[in-house]
Amino acid sequence: MKAFSSFSSVLTIGAAVGYLLYSPTGLAQSPSEQDLVKQGDYIARASDCMACHTTKEGKPFAGGLVLKTPFGKIVSSNITPSKKFGIGGWTETQFANAVRKGSSPRLGHLYPAMPYTAYAGLSDRDMHALYVYFTKAVEPVEKEPETKTALSFPYNIRFAMVGWNMLYASGRPMADNESTPDGSRRGEYLVKVLAHCGTCHTPRNKFMAEKSSDFLAGNPNIQGWVAPNITSDNISGIGGWSEEEIIAYLKNGAAHGKAQAAGPMAEAVEYSLRYLTDSDLKAVATYLKTVKPISNLGQTKANHSYNQAIAVDSAVFDYPIDRSPLAMGAGSSIDGQRLYLNACATCHQPRGEGTEDQFYPSLTSNSVVGAKDPRNLVMAILYGVDRQTNDGHVFMPGFAEQLSDEQITAIAQYVATNFGNPALKVTINDVKLLRNASR
Amino acid sequence: MATQYDADVIVVGSGAIGSNAAYALASQGKSVIILEAGEWIPRWKIVENFRSSARKGNHDDPYPDAPWAPVSFSPGYIENTGSFAFLPGMLHLVGGTTWHWAAATWRLLPNDMQMKSLYGVGRDWPVTYDELEPWYVKAEYALGIAGSDTEDQSGLNPDTSYPPRSAPYPVPPEAETYYFQRLKARIEPEGYPFIHEPNARTNQPWDGRPGCSGNNNCMPVCPIGAMYSGDVHARHAQKAGAQILTDSTAFKLEKGEGGKIVAVHCRSAKGVDRRLTARYFIIASNGLETPKLLLMSDVANSSDLVGRNLMDHTGIGLQFLADEPLWPGRGQVQQGAIFRLRDGAFRSQHSAIKHALTNTVPNRAITEHLLKKNIVGPELDKQIRHMAARWVDISTVFEQLPHLENRVQPSTTRKTSNGIPMMKIHYDPDDYIKAAVPIAKQDFANFVQIMNGTVIEDNTGFQNRDHIMGTVIMGDNHRNSVVNHECRTWNHPNLFMATTGVFPSASVVNPTLTGIALALRSADIIAREV
Repeated sequence: MKAFSSFSSVLTIGAAVGYLLYSPTGLAQSPSEQDLVKQGDYIARASDCMACHTTKEGKPFAGGLVLKTPFGKIVSSNITPSKKFGIGGWTETQFANAVRKGSSPRLGHLYPAMPYTAYAGLSDRDMHALYVYFTKAVEPVEKEPETKTALSFPYNIRFAMVGWNMLYASGRPMADNESTPDGSRRGEYLVKVLAHCGTCHTPRNKFMAEKSSDFLAGNPNIQGWVAPNITSDNISGIGGWSEEEIIAYLKNGAAHGKAQAAGPMAEAVEYSLRYLTDSDLKAVATYLKTVKPISNLGQTKANHSYNQAIAVDSAVFDYPIDRSPLAMGAGSSIDGQRLYLNACATCHQPRGEGTEDQFYPSLTSNSVVGAKDPRNLVMAILYGVDRQTNDGHVFMPGFAEQLSDEQITAIAQYVATNFGNPALKVTINDVKLLRNASR
Repeated sequence: MATQYDADVIVVGSGAIGSNAAYALASQGKSVIILEAGEWIPRWKIVENFRSSARKGNHDDPYPDAPWAPVSFSPGYIENTGSFAFLPGMLHLVGGTTWHWAAATWRLLPNDMQMKSLYGVGRDWPVTYDELEPWYVKAEYALGIAGSDTEDQSGLNPDTSYPPRSAPYPVPPEAETYYFQRLKARIEPEGYPFIHEPNARTNQPWDGRPGCSGNNNCMPVCPIGAMYSGDVHARHAQKAGAQILTDSTAFKLEKGEGGKIVAVHCRSAKGVDRRLTARYFIIASNGLETPKLLLMSDVANSSDLVGRNLMDHTGIGLQFLADEPLWPGRGQVQQGAIFRLRDGAFRSQHSAIKHALTNTVPNRAITEHLLKKNIVGPELDKQIRHMAARWVDISTVFEQLPHLENRVQPSTTRKTSNGIPMMKIHYDPDDYIKAAVPIAKQDFANFVQIMNGTVIEDNTGFQNRDHIMGTVIMGDNHRNSVVNHECRTWNHPNLFMATTGVFPSASVVNPTLTGIALALRSADIIAREV
């Protein structure tokens, strides 16, 4: 029964099985090659190659995903072993240069949407496994992605990346013995290299390079979402989270009483992090606790520490309405409380406590609601939450089509004021910008 | 003759059936206008209207009852002249009446479509189950139907899957409630097959809808939008380019040369009229308003069958207290059906029978029952607690046959505030279903006995089931029917009906899914012609 659960999961499972079992030569693989394929598959998962190189409807690693950047759109490439359209004709050295240095035999200099500055640290051992995996176990797709990268001048000149690379791409492969699952720097390796957490969570300078001095201190705009500070700072970062909470978050996208993953982080959980072994997840959590604490300017209270809803008398939940036909058909109210009670409280409950099992999470003790920046709260209301986890499919519907900008502003403000950070101010411009940004 | 049209296709009605047809056309690049008498109302507002109402048993109540677009329970909207008060709960708003259905989405059985040739009663369909099957699949995936791929939905052959399907259900069946489990465990062994009811209350994320979390409020409104309602495809159609005109009640179809329909005239609440032209017209205004519009326009009626052959799954009910707590009211408002007599040779003699397990939180019904007996104070609380745990509610339906005299017509005496005739209905339950009543009542007695129960009510008389069929009936020639197997009117090649009103036979299962499947098929035919 479960296999029929939905179209998308059928496709995902089918695709996964497809590329795991595919053997282009039809020859039996030697045991050591099988081990390498397995290892390479794990590295590809941990590095989340799929998130960018596969579209929702497309074949695994066939590329075609459009990444919107401030300079135009960048389209991910076909990295299947197609000789004509993918990496099929590449030597291992060429493959390694593309992954570590952003230098492609077909395209020349890659744009750093490909996180090669992080992958530069990939160990030789893992690089070999990754190469074997992509050349031997991935099904070739004999097709170029339909959309083409289109950047504005001067960013459309790939050669310009040479200077950029000299400045910002200087990483060296981590030694095999340090980076293996029982290696001395496994956690750092996972965070910095494979999971490339800094790609989203480290702020960038004006040349779009990660500011290494602010490692994991947060990035205010990842496709409209804020990638928060995840340094070990007790107030601004995740210093107040237990290792168990970090692990639960990485695995299922939810740490009760702390935060839930949505947007690009939900994708990271869905496509990558939930596949990590328990020992790797622990290594990540342990390492994150050691990352240099960086505090956000002026922040004195952790986002998740707003744990009390403003007391509201139950009587306010029960109110008479105008029952004239026109009033009953008019859905344009911008009364945040009325909107919250009738559009949100069925799941999140009238006092924002969520359900007892936190299947519907609390809005109190919630990093998004306790933040000073309203963006993730507004994004969640506009576009909802959607992530496959090892613990089921988590879904909140988006309200962009059903509520106006004014109404979403009112709900977000009501939620922040009553369940979170009263200093959080939501303006209609926040909502307008985010609605347009994601179009 | 004008060559400029306002749209390729105009769809009259934005309910589940019309909106699915409109979306199918718009997504193929056709220009589509949808006319809707009511308004867009966001879910939160309907939830508020419901929560603040004192009439929670009236499932039309949370919806605006505008004098120009009344809900069906509005006094005078339907005038009855027959022996039975035919009064289904119908709504006027974008998305239509599926805002408050319980989302049962059975397929017909192949035999349901061959009543005349197999059993010598009623009519055959001019389309076969096999022809309809791929469209059932499309409809099921559009709505995200939760269903069992392993059950025989005829109830006849356990351990087989029936009727035949070319694709699995998109969503697995929801877990069985304790109420269902206990009744099944005790009643099924006595010869009463319990079958999972396929339904459009998805239990996992589907097409922007969350999974059902058991608010037990399918009627009158799902507070979280897990249950499918027609506004989903109204929005999809709009996104695909269709234009939805609200406050636009169609009141006249205008005939042109060559038997074609050239325009539809619609009217606003304030009485402002508009004339809109199109290449094709789809009337999807439910099984009552659709024939009314045709009759008012004097179109498609060379057979004199428009509005006739009105059918519902006219039924009866049973309420009793079981000897053990069953905790009804958890999960969705209905789950499963008992099919001992869904199909068989007996259908030449009497109607098939479906017993459906109602699972609505029973406190309101119990309290009303106790108050009528003047039970008040602490005793009232005590008895509510006792009875609410043990309440069993069975909703039984029969298969009415088509009869010419059961009909809907425009009212000659009553109009909406903007001057559009309301309707008059004549409906008598027929001998075919009356012959099944004693059998159903024997089943009731058996259920009560098996559950060692105490009867609360086992003599309800006939009840409405809100499944309107037959009024623009489908057939194999222009003398015996209004539309052909494509749901195209015999008289007007560019006029299609998208409503359960086209059904030539009623079966005993909820008709909406079949209505959507037929409409998707019609839309496909139209798309190839415009």
